[in-house]
Amino acid sequence: MVSNAPGSPTLHNTAAMAVELTGITKRFGAFIANDGIDLAVRRGEIHAIIGENGAGKTTLMNILFGLLQPDEGSIRLNGEATVVADPAAAIKAGLGMVHQHFKLVPSLSVADNVFLGMEIRRHGLIDHAAQIARTQELSKRFGLHVDPTERVGLLSVGIEQRIEILKVLVRGARTIILDEPTAVLTPQESRELFQTLRSFVAEGMTVIFISHHLEEVMEVSDTVTVLRNGKKVATRPTSELNKDELVRMMVGREVSFDRRPRAELQGDVILEVKDLWARDDRRLPALRNASFTVRSGEVVGIAGVAGNGQTELAEVLSGLRPASHGEARLKGQDLTTLTPAAIREAGLAHVPGDRMLRGVDRNASIAANTLMGRQHRAPWSRNGMLDWKAIAGNAGALIKSFDIRAQGAGDAVKRLSGGNIQKVVLAREFTNGADFLLIDQPTRGVDIGAQEAIHDEIMRQRAAGRAILLISVQLDELAALADRILVMFNGRIMGEVAGDDADEDRIGMMMAGVSPQLEPA
Amino acid sequence: MEILDKLINVALIAATLRTTAPILLVALGGSFTTKAGIFNIGLEGQMLAGAFFAVIGSIWTGSAFAGVACGVAAALAFALAFAVLVVTFRANEVVVGLALNILAGGMTISLMKAIFGTRGSIVGHGIVGLPKVQIPGAQALLGSWAPLISGFTPIVYVAFIAVPLLVLFYNRTRLGLYIRVVGEKPEAAEALGISITRVRYTASLLCGLLAGLAGAHLSLGYITMFTENMSSGRGFMAVAILIFSNGDPLKVLAGCLLFGFADAFSLRLQTFGFPSYLVLTVPYVVALTALFALSYRARPKIIKETLASMQKLLSVDRNSAPVDKNP
Repeated sequence: MVSNAPGSPTLHNTAAMAVELTGITKRFGAFIANDGIDLAVRRGEIHAIIGENGAGKTTLMNILFGLLQPDEGSIRLNGEATVVADPAAAIKAGLGMVHQHFKLVPSLSVADNVFLGMEIRRHGLIDHAAQIARTQELSKRFGLHVDPTERVGLLSVGIEQRIEILKVLVRGARTIILDEPTAVLTPQESRELFQTLRSFVAEGMTVIFISHHLEEVMEVSDTVTVLRNGKKVATRPTSELNKDELVRMMVGREVSFDRRPRAELQGDVILEVKDLWARDDRRLPALRNASFTVRSGEVVGIAGVAGNGQTELAEVLSGLRPASHGEARLKGQDLTTLTPAAIREAGLAHVPGDRMLRGVDRNASIAANTLMGRQHRAPWSRNGMLDWKAIAGNAGALIKSFDIRAQGAGDAVKRLSGGNIQKVVLAREFTNGADFLLIDQPTRGVDIGAQEAIHDEIMRQRAAGRAILLISVQLDELAALADRILVMFNGRIMGEVAGDDADEDRIGMMMAGVSPQLEPA
Repeated sequence: MEILDKLINVALIAATLRTTAPILLVALGGSFTTKAGIFNIGLEGQMLAGAFFAVIGSIWTGSAFAGVACGVAAALAFALAFAVLVVTFRANEVVVGLALNILAGGMTISLMKAIFGTRGSIVGHGIVGLPKVQIPGAQALLGSWAPLISGFTPIVYVAFIAVPLLVLFYNRTRLGLYIRVVGEKPEAAEALGISITRVRYTASLLCGLLAGLAGAHLSLGYITMFTENMSSGRGFMAVAILIFSNGDPLKVLAGCLLFGFADAFSLRLQTFGFPSYLVLTVPYVVALTALFALSYRARPKIIKETLASMQKLLSVDRNSAPVDKNP
């Protein structure tokens, strides 16, 4: 070891790899978030990790950054076996992570935020001038345009993200992890971010970025790793891939066409959507010119990679988001002018995509949760007073008929499993006598047994003549239940496929933005 | 004109500085907790404990400065109790603050009864007051204006020097910065490995230090005595100033000067035979009105909404208000 002349090759020069994860497994209770994942990231590349919501991307990166400890598996950083006990250890090893949620102090200046926790001091006092100069220098070098003296509270989200990146840089990171960095950015800001990422690589740094947007992955990455349901599907050079392949790797090839038997019973048009537009939270168009109808006794499926306007569509139809243009008529009544309560009165039942946020009050009992939204109606209330006896009795009946596994109607909803919580939502929504059912991701995070039961229930509702709009990112679910499938991409409905003719190649193409009728988008 | 001259003169300004000092000190103390994100309603109690134990210490030791140290130690004990309950045990800060205020009030009364066998006040018993600092050359330099800078007790100087020091502290020192971060965005502090608990304890104790000094000034400064409930709401006034100033030292100074001036002015008015009950409300009315006016810009939402709804109620049209440029 003394004879090692400078520049002589060392024995373990596997340092071409910035990050090597081997057999990483992470369980949360019975749920396996990461299942034996191997990941190798070469030094000096932009490595995209792509997968749908819940595929395990963020969990994997949190393990790499020391925020979570893996149950199994090992980590090598720059060729050295490393235990990343906490984020401090990760930072010391040259890793930096830009999270989805920023942690900046609004009343402090940009430079103060960048150097918070590692202030430059002179004579014991913070040297603001030096901090500003250093921030300026880094921001120029990597094209992260910010004014170091400005107060963070006055700045936009896009600039806040640049500050978070600068924070990572001043801490000496050589490998930078970004968790869904473009989710909060406008397209213009995204392009600027990609240039910054390229400038990092040009300086020999390594970038790992998480995304579920195909196009930006194709545009900016050198290598792609696809995760699905906690497992790694593949790692491939981006140049060898096209969008269509990527989609299929993301959503899965093994679509089981376990189609539910059904009788044709299409009745009157219940929902008619015409030229509907809406904006997302960034004020950008997220739903573009959607037109379709749903008839009674029909299940219309909406397919698409998450984040292509499905959420906005569901929110507009349930009155939670204003439409910017167009109309949606429920039995002739235009929903876009009504409040959520009025839409429900007009005949909507809504199973929201995020059941913990909008489906239930987790701290309330099953009885109270089955009551919500109809507390003013008989038999739940009489003479303006709630009739708890009737409410509990009704909840007990629903627990039985929807097979909710619980101790009783007084159980707090938070004590139930995901599948049973979803059944509470279904039990409430499906027994309202509504003609139109808007069902968003009914089986997300639900075990197989409960999935079957939920599918059975949706088919029963169809047989009872309800008009059903089923939004799902799971193709097999749509193929099993839907009479027709509409495919959404980038806020538009790209095309329609009959449910009994659900060709995954065609659907996959449309999900990737290739229209069967039009030229590629 | 003659009356005005008698009312407003150098002596009044000097009196203003004197009456400002205790409320300024206690408010600056509260600035630490306010900035650290703790709503500290216990200032009143810390100040009262400081005043009482400063007198006790002064009697025991025969030294005014040892008395001040005793007062500060008592206030620190209250501040520590506050921090243990609020920071470590996460008790409700208003409940704890109120409880400690009531404790301070009751404790001083019972101790007074137990030690001196009296109720109401402690006078004499060999209490040593703080000396007045005569700044050399002040008389020669400023002539009749000399009382503006000379002849105060040391604590008055400490109070006013503390203002620029606190500005420096919050802007240029690491601890000051961390106190602000912990108060404004605890999750950011946590992510950077800054101990929220440690910072909040430090802020609470710094607060106790200044509140104790403020108390000592009350009982050993210009009057050397202790009376029941001697702090007489100054701690609460400081809380009001802190809410409106958000703990910024310069804004705290402005608020306290206003209160101090009104206080000194009302004392003046009393000598002119105005009914004392009415006169004693003056500082509070003035301070609250001014703070309300000042905060109109700083807290636009609540107040503007209130005004807007009041306007709607009275259906006054703003645009139709006559503009009178030429009086």
